[in-house]
Amino acid sequence: MSKGALAQVRFEAIEAYLLGSMPAADCVRFEQELNTDAELRAEVDLQRENMLAVEMGGMQQTLRSIMAQNEERSSSGWGHYLKYAAAVTVLLIGALWWFSRTPLNERLYAEYHQTDPGLPVPMSTTRNPEFQDAMVAYKLGHYAEATDQWSSLLKNSPGNDTLNYYIASAQLAEGNTTAAIPLFKDVAGNTASVFHAKAKWYLFLLFLQEGHYAEMRALGMEQDSTYGERAGRIMEQIGK
Amino acid sequence: MEEKAAADILLFSAWAEALVRNDPGTLKKLYALHFPTVKQYVQRNSGTVEDARDMFQEAITVLWLKAKDGTLQQNTEPGAFLFRVSKNKWLDRVRSAAQRTMTVVPVEHTGAPDDVEAVDLEERIQRLKQVCDRMDGQCRTVLGRFYFQREDMATIAAAMGVTEDSIRTIKYRCMMKLRAFRKHIADGENGMEA
Repeated sequence: MSKGALAQVRFEAIEAYLLGSMPAADCVRFEQELNTDAELRAEVDLQRENMLAVEMGGMQQTLRSIMAQNEERSSSGWGHYLKYAAAVTVLLIGALWWFSRTPLNERLYAEYHQTDPGLPVPMSTTRNPEFQDAMVAYKLGHYAEATDQWSSLLKNSPGNDTLNYYIASAQLAEGNTTAAIPLFKDVAGNTASVFHAKAKWYLFLLFLQEGHYAEMRALGMEQDSTYGERAGRIMEQIGK
Repeated sequence: MEEKAAADILLFSAWAEALVRNDPGTLKKLYALHFPTVKQYVQRNSGTVEDARDMFQEAITVLWLKAKDGTLQQNTEPGAFLFRVSKNKWLDRVRSAAQRTMTVVPVEHTGAPDDVEAVDLEERIQRLKQVCDRMDGQCRTVLGRFYFQREDMATIAAAMGVTEDSIRTIKYRCMMKLRAFRKHIADGENGMEA
């Protein structure tokens, strides 16, 4: 590495070489020079590391932004434990009130309902990248964003069972049962869909929550190999 | 669609290449998929969520740098790699004098290379961080947009309300400041104001 100044034209030549934007003929000449000029080699190595330092700073800043968007900052020390103790107390009081006040069907719904965890998200962006981006949003709990992205895809694939099922799941997670029910019905009516049984199960739970017992019974959920046992227990408890 | 998605997880080249080109979506996915495991491990071993974030950021930096260098093994699974590095870094911290009384639960892991915590790699990351920390706001903005976000100079100039020539000059001057700082390091000296 030279102790003196590096001319702007020389700096930009090294930069073009490192970024791969140098014309092929110039690149050949530059590499010939590199083979014989140790000072140039040191300069190229130094500039490569400095560019990498800038990129590393950008990468870490991006990651910090992602973390800030998705995680609450945690505290430490006694405040940390007091916060949890207070939360547990509130939950206990809430649970006591809830069990004494909430109707049986709503308690059973809360006991059996679990938000669909979503599909595994591949690291590749080459196949269905829009779908996968929405799935990441869904897994992060950004249900409205996921719904928007999947709804946009649905315009090009009307009736797609996967999209209908996950839009319904996102709507349900947002508490929008009115929007979720027809979508789950659509998928539940498609016996060829891999989401058929799951859609029926969520419909069953939604009907339970709303007290629509005749519609629950009409689904025949007790016969399902995966959900039948749970459905039977629920029907038994509500006496329908 | 589910089976196809599962198969895509194995495509090493796709995520590694996306990391090399600084794709924010890939960072987001790595975080969404693998941070919960790291957080659970750190919290089970006397750490906080903030500690887990620190470990995860250091692990991502190692993964990113190895992807940039082209030294990641073809069978590297990012989740196993990130967990292994995060775990080792947390164990190092736990073993330090201030935290000797903590209980550490041993866990078996596979899939990460053995040299992920090589001292030379750590020292290099520290050097890069030192250089990065020397940049002032203007240099950070211009160099970041050009080298990290890969924006062209016309776009940067338009966004900053200056001419392309100005951006070219700012970029050159900023990089010369970093060069001078590295020369100071090489000479065993300290201090350079960017």
